[in-house]
Amino acid sequence: MDFSVSADPPHVVEFRKEVRAWLEENMRGAEHLRWSASWSTRENEEEYRFRRGLAEKLGKKGWLFPMFPKEYGGAGLTMDHQIVLETELFRYGLNLSHVFYTLARIVAPVLIRWGTEEQKREFLPPITRGEVCVWQVLTEPQGGSDIANCQTKAIRDGDVYVVNGQKVMVGHHVPPDFLWTLVCTDPGGKRHENLSWLHIPANLPGITIQPMHLMMGIKNAVFFDNVRVPAKYLIGGENNGWKVANTHMELEHGGDGRIAMDPLVERVVEYCRNTHVGGRPLIADPRVRDTIADMMIELNTLRRFNQRIYWHRFTKRPHPYGGPQQRYYQRMMRLRNAERLQQIMGADALVQDLSVHEVVDFEYAVRTGPGQLHGGGTLDTDRLIFARRLGLGRPVQEKAPETH
Amino acid sequence: MDLSLTETQEMFKKVASDFVKAEVPAHLMTRWYKDKETFQPRLFRKAVELGWVGMMLPEQYGGAAMSAMDCGVVFEELGRGPVPGPLFSSGVLAAQAIFEAGTDEQKQALLPAICKGESIVIPAINDKASSWGPESVETRLVKTPDGYLMSGTKRFVFDAQAATSFLCAARTEEGQVVFVLIDAKSPGVTVTPLVGFLVSAAEVRFDRVRIPASALLGAGGSDWRTFDAALEKSLPILCAYQVGASQEVFDITCEYTRTRVVFGQPIGRFQRVQDHCVEISIHLDAARWATYETLWRLDTGIPARAAVHEAKAVASEGYYQATNYAHMVWAGPGTDYGHPMMAHSVLAHTLYQYLGTPAQHKRLMMDTLYPVS
Repeated sequence: MDFSVSADPPHVVEFRKEVRAWLEENMRGAEHLRWSASWSTRENEEEYRFRRGLAEKLGKKGWLFPMFPKEYGGAGLTMDHQIVLETELFRYGLNLSHVFYTLARIVAPVLIRWGTEEQKREFLPPITRGEVCVWQVLTEPQGGSDIANCQTKAIRDGDVYVVNGQKVMVGHHVPPDFLWTLVCTDPGGKRHENLSWLHIPANLPGITIQPMHLMMGIKNAVFFDNVRVPAKYLIGGENNGWKVANTHMELEHGGDGRIAMDPLVERVVEYCRNTHVGGRPLIADPRVRDTIADMMIELNTLRRFNQRIYWHRFTKRPHPYGGPQQRYYQRMMRLRNAERLQQIMGADALVQDLSVHEVVDFEYAVRTGPGQLHGGGTLDTDRLIFARRLGLGRPVQEKAPETH
Repeated sequence: MDLSLTETQEMFKKVASDFVKAEVPAHLMTRWYKDKETFQPRLFRKAVELGWVGMMLPEQYGGAAMSAMDCGVVFEELGRGPVPGPLFSSGVLAAQAIFEAGTDEQKQALLPAICKGESIVIPAINDKASSWGPESVETRLVKTPDGYLMSGTKRFVFDAQAATSFLCAARTEEGQVVFVLIDAKSPGVTVTPLVGFLVSAAEVRFDRVRIPASALLGAGGSDWRTFDAALEKSLPILCAYQVGASQEVFDITCEYTRTRVVFGQPIGRFQRVQDHCVEISIHLDAARWATYETLWRLDTGIPARAAVHEAKAVASEGYYQATNYAHMVWAGPGTDYGHPMMAHSVLAHTLYQYLGTPAQHKRLMMDTLYPVS
């Protein structure tokens, strides 16, 4: 076994030097910027423009999707190269799939899996080169986690689909170029056999976007009013959308893994070293130390779950319950850590700190406790899927759909 | 990055798995644990013949020079039994302690005998039930003209009934903790099994036991640091055993959810029941991957001390919680001492305590990473 993600195999040693030098050059001018989270209460136009520009530069080199084939805007590289990119970006507080606010990490693999060759060549390069921002548009007011209960209709009319309906909990504070949208193309048809996916240009007439202000930040409601979408934007076939959705949901449900370590513990330790009560630093308080130990062990456990998923994904070995396990664990852990932070720091844990990146702000970590129990399903849907993948109550374990 | 076992490790795993199936069937295992007869000499002899006792030791001392990961793979399978007996306490922990601290003469005299199973050396460490560190060592070593007299009571000696000798932590008149080898049959040594919700554990009393100077481990007597080094190498192997035991709990419990019919359907179809199995799966994987990463660190030479303490905390918590959630599934049948779950419950509670609780190991992890000056 080899758990290393920073000791490079020989064939990527030069690549790491190249990436490191490139980032030193291209991250210049960002020193004063503080990154907002992918779901954010902060809005900073300068930051957004910098990150979008960075994504485009990475995309030009094929580094946004380094393992993708070159013909689709990738670089045709290996898992080890991807690890180099991930770990180097992490030194700047960024990660590859969220360099800028797009859900391309989900849409691009779905297109690879389900798009026609023509669609892949037309739609993938702008995504993989970081030139467009894609929102995923699934959730409906009445459906919640039950995405098969899709009421947004897309009725074929000649060479277009006419789309009517409403979606909620969509995107973030940055405007989209495309809306990756689940629609119902056969209103009278059988459940699961009446769905389709449209890769809708966001500038089409009839689309209205309204912000929603939620605990974790900006999401949006999207209204479709007789939107005429050319048929070439249908991905995966009419009424075949449930099969496509399985690939999409597997990626959204943690099936892609990641290898970055959460810096929360180091930040807490630093805070406790620098904060004194009764003349003694908090780090010397045994109760504080015990609480930090629990936090650290759970974060390490999550890191290992993610690393395992990542490895299984790129070596193409099945690990069907990894995604829901990781997501459920993360949600429960965040809830526990929200309480731990308050126990350690008192009210400081509830005060926003704009001098740090949002994802490492203690206040953000507390809000993610209750605020992210949902998103791509709830913690209970995580457990439902987890149970099916473990084969509970059934003779055979459910298989995870292919994602690559 | 490579998270797979090697072919050799897969082979070790299979040999151990076949051993468990053949030698530790559930009906025998439950009886051994129920009757607290966890030292089975015949079983131990077979493990010796397979080369599992002392397997991490260098070949010059009768070991097989196995890596930590190789040893962990074997012990994970043994945990599925769970195979009782001093394979860990003598074959890993005491062997490592002697290897770390003994003079070459002592190593030559003791280690091959441990590997052959002729000598079963059982560590006897703490005089207080609530602590496993050097502060818990109160057994006294008083100098005499021809050696020492040793007196004290070790409160939790795992596998004591199997011992041919004890490796005993004691404190000299100067306050130093040293390690002493004592024949279990020495006059003044009394072994009393601990009765209650635990297994393989005994109180061992030393009443003015005569100790020759040569019985002190190491030239001039080893100190706690050498035992700590042995613990660092050994604890992940115990963790692997706990992982295997947790896996077995998970497997028998999930199988039960498929076969037990209540309200007209298998209980595994009820979401509340599924949730218990989901929790077991999380604890199992948390323990497994913490242990594997720690074994990798040891074999690679990456600093491992904090990871060892973390793995011990997570694996003990994992096995303990796995049995708790399993009992939520099994309900009444699982509390019958004739049921495998009872062996697991008693063992999980015992190993939760053995060599330190999760809380104690978390403290040690923090002290390693963030010492308070």
